[in-house]
Amino acid sequence: MKKTFITAAALSLLIAALAACSKTPPAAATASTETPAVAAANPNDKELPPAPSPARSVAIPKPVEKTLDNGLRVIVVQHGGTPLVTAELNLLSGSEVDPPSLSGLAGFTANLLTQGTKTRSAPQIAQASEALGASLTAAADWDASRIGITVTTPKTGEALDLLADVVRNPTFAKAEVERQRSQALDGLSVQLQQPRSLASLVATRLLFGTSPYGHSRLGTPASLKQIHSADLVKLHETYYRPDNAVLVFSGDIDGDTAFALAEKVFGSWAKPNYPVPPRPTIDEASAASGAVRVVAIDLPGAGQAAVVAVHRLPPRKADDYYAGVITNAVLGGGYSARLNSEIRIKRGLSYGAGSRFQALRDAGVLLAFAQTKNQSAPEVADLIRAEITKLSSESVPLPELAARKASLIGGFSRGLQTTSGIAEQLGELITQGIDLDAINHTIANAEAVTPAQVQAYAAAHLNVNDVDIVIVGDAKQFSEALGKTYPDLQLIPATSLDLDDALPAATPAPTAARAP
Amino acid sequence: MQRHFLAAALIALTAAPVFAAPADAALTIPPLAYKETRLPNGLQVLSIEDHASPTVAVQVWYHVGSKDDPAQRSGFAHLFEHLMFKSTKNLAAEQFDRLTEDVGGSNNASTGDDVTNYFEVIPSNYLQTLLWAEAERLKNLTVDEPNFKSERAVVEEEFRQRILAPPYGRLEYALQKNAYAVHPYKRPTIGSIEDLEAASLDDVIAFHSTYYRPDNATLIVVGDFEPAQLAQWVDLYFGKIAKPDAAIPRVDAIEPPRSEDRRITEQAPNVPLPALGMTWLAPPAKSPDAAALRVAAAILAGGDSSRLHQALVYRQQVAQEVSFEFSDNADVGLITATAVLASGRKLGDAEKAVLAEIQRLQKTPISDAELDKAKTQLLTQALVQRETNEGKAFELGSAVILTGEPANADKALAALQAVTAADVQRVIKEYVSDRHRVTVEYRAAAAAGAKK
Repeated sequence: MKKTFITAAALSLLIAALAACSKTPPAAATASTETPAVAAANPNDKELPPAPSPARSVAIPKPVEKTLDNGLRVIVVQHGGTPLVTAELNLLSGSEVDPPSLSGLAGFTANLLTQGTKTRSAPQIAQASEALGASLTAAADWDASRIGITVTTPKTGEALDLLADVVRNPTFAKAEVERQRSQALDGLSVQLQQPRSLASLVATRLLFGTSPYGHSRLGTPASLKQIHSADLVKLHETYYRPDNAVLVFSGDIDGDTAFALAEKVFGSWAKPNYPVPPRPTIDEASAASGAVRVVAIDLPGAGQAAVVAVHRLPPRKADDYYAGVITNAVLGGGYSARLNSEIRIKRGLSYGAGSRFQALRDAGVLLAFAQTKNQSAPEVADLIRAEITKLSSESVPLPELAARKASLIGGFSRGLQTTSGIAEQLGELITQGIDLDAINHTIANAEAVTPAQVQAYAAAHLNVNDVDIVIVGDAKQFSEALGKTYPDLQLIPATSLDLDDALPAATPAPTAARAP
Repeated sequence: MQRHFLAAALIALTAAPVFAAPADAALTIPPLAYKETRLPNGLQVLSIEDHASPTVAVQVWYHVGSKDDPAQRSGFAHLFEHLMFKSTKNLAAEQFDRLTEDVGGSNNASTGDDVTNYFEVIPSNYLQTLLWAEAERLKNLTVDEPNFKSERAVVEEEFRQRILAPPYGRLEYALQKNAYAVHPYKRPTIGSIEDLEAASLDDVIAFHSTYYRPDNATLIVVGDFEPAQLAQWVDLYFGKIAKPDAAIPRVDAIEPPRSEDRRITEQAPNVPLPALGMTWLAPPAKSPDAAALRVAAAILAGGDSSRLHQALVYRQQVAQEVSFEFSDNADVGLITATAVLASGRKLGDAEKAVLAEIQRLQKTPISDAELDKAKTQLLTQALVQRETNEGKAFELGSAVILTGEPANADKALAALQAVTAADVQRVIKEYVSDRHRVTVEYRAAAAAGAKK
């Protein structure tokens, strides 16, 4: 297909980032599409496309909320149309709480929730959820662990019983821990031979070093071997508690019904008498290395190279968050954004290039990416850097800005059309600590960003000489050319890469790095 | 390419059905209340009016796919799909994106064995614009040499991204190439770099005039529109497109039954764990047996509680991932089983375990609860699919392409509901146990550090 990767990957990420505004009420905002992009490029001798009629407004869902006595927040968005209900428990702690030597612990813990409770074995849990027509998912992300299920309306009660059981009563049995360990190790071995996923792992390590957000959420070959049942029990006791969780319902269910269900299955979930531990702090020192770091990982025989460029950005709560969202939209958010235009459309160098702005609770990340034939990797890296440079050196033309905003807002609105999409957008806001009312202002806030704000944002937060680049591929086909542009290139064979080591970040930043 | 995407989409769609969860009379899936018309030039038009959101899905499904790739031009139908986003008489290259993405919509397209489809979701006030634009690229495509070459390079990168870069990309490629003896389904939709390099602008022009015509297309519109207005616009923009006199060429290959089992060895770099793939020929989507095969696939591999997952991944730990799928095609279909091994395990053990589960399904009783579970899973998938305008349009389009009839989107749900345990056992015997299989053993190439 034509654009799968962009739509599937970049756009949805972007939307997630945008949705990251907060949450509650009002009713309707207008997706204004004042850009008559239609008439854009037509000489006089051509027939013009018919102009649009007036736009209808987009309905924004209206959440209702209640907090149980034990501190569990319950949020409900009734959404008609289809007899489906999504229920998702958002735990406000994710992989950032992994101890330094136990990368992947939060993810391991979440995975094991569904592998046995005091009253159900792992096969019984799978059987129970799938008999409801659903799959019960549990996973850890940065800032959040999420346990969710989507079922047809009549199954809601049974689904919630099951969800509460795995959250409250997991046993972390030794046999299941061992089974999970070998599956996680095998799964990781596959990820580590995919150019794109390996490049992202290394880039994250470069960006955050050994501080929280820097390690592999999937664990590493060494860390996975060191995780014991006691570690899982401890993480669960520490963080899985009602006053550190938010339950979201969306779909064919009203507030009173949902609140009653929540009370029934979570009302007796006791809150410990000690506070939730403070969040780990992010190492700000590594935020600006003051130099371009370039790392090439050699994967001999790789059929393509993955090129990833990363830069730190302010966290979700920053005042200029929406300027960041729009800046990313211009750079790489969508098929027609600059990276895909330059790399794919103009030059045929990739099936898809783009960028995402991951606005986390305590830090933000800009990640630009493309896969290309091995020989083209240096050219693609140059193109990415050139586009990042342009964001601060030139003002974005108004028609381009309007188009990128419309694309972003359209994606945001489409995301609100399904029960799982609504739950996802609310979940993002909740776990990033943003008031849910933000969901009502997302469209207006995105619309309000000016070219000057984009340029100022890029100037303040996006220094091309702080960009780190990671290329994973068959290095003999590109390392020589890459070394000419970046004399301080670090070339590491994939087989000797140690993901537990802060090696890439610990290496002194080269001082002679060159701008493009 | 689209196979993945399309395979995923079509399976989700056509495998979705069931009117009511068996044990659950309370829940029903409302039928797709579509209207069908046909213009004098042969264009089929399907529409569902729904004003729930201010958006509309517009799709054009052309009845041409990679099975129609010209000789020595594997991958051509898919390459052509990419070129439909380039210039036309009245549209600049990529202007389709200006009319969709830039106004808050989205667009994409995909190519499969039987179909090439183009799909958009747009704010509903742009419906007229998009109908004009879809008609424009049907009648006035004007691709030039630079656009052709640049987009061909993109498709070659797509080939690398889908087939060469992922550890198991070549497994899927090998499975399709070796599944059929004579039917053009044996050509992977993405084609090959050599055949893509051999394609020319002349091929593009010939392909467009042969297959892109109103009597070879189905237009689907779902969402926020007024029916009378839609009819007027469709007539205005599509009605004047002439229907060519020449007949549309159709694939008439008849795939013979397999006469023996075959075993193929495939190697690739950077394969961390060996894998196994097996295929069997299957009936076409319109076969009365299709519903039972969908239920059989759900029992065997639909989720963690499925038989293959429980046996191979959970109990024996011989595999880290396992699948069993029925791909319903317009013509002869395919049943595919795959397993990625757990480290340290042998291909032969996984193969034995898969075959043992297939035999057990055929020969030992299936409980009502297990049958209900499979149907409920498929029903819920159908409901999720039908949450959006785009999802409903995909259901109609798939039914038209695969079975010739949009009504089959709903009929397939009813057929699924009627499947019995005996049906499941009969189709597993008839299409799997009693038939020959092609097995692909997939391992790391020695140079990249092979494991056994």
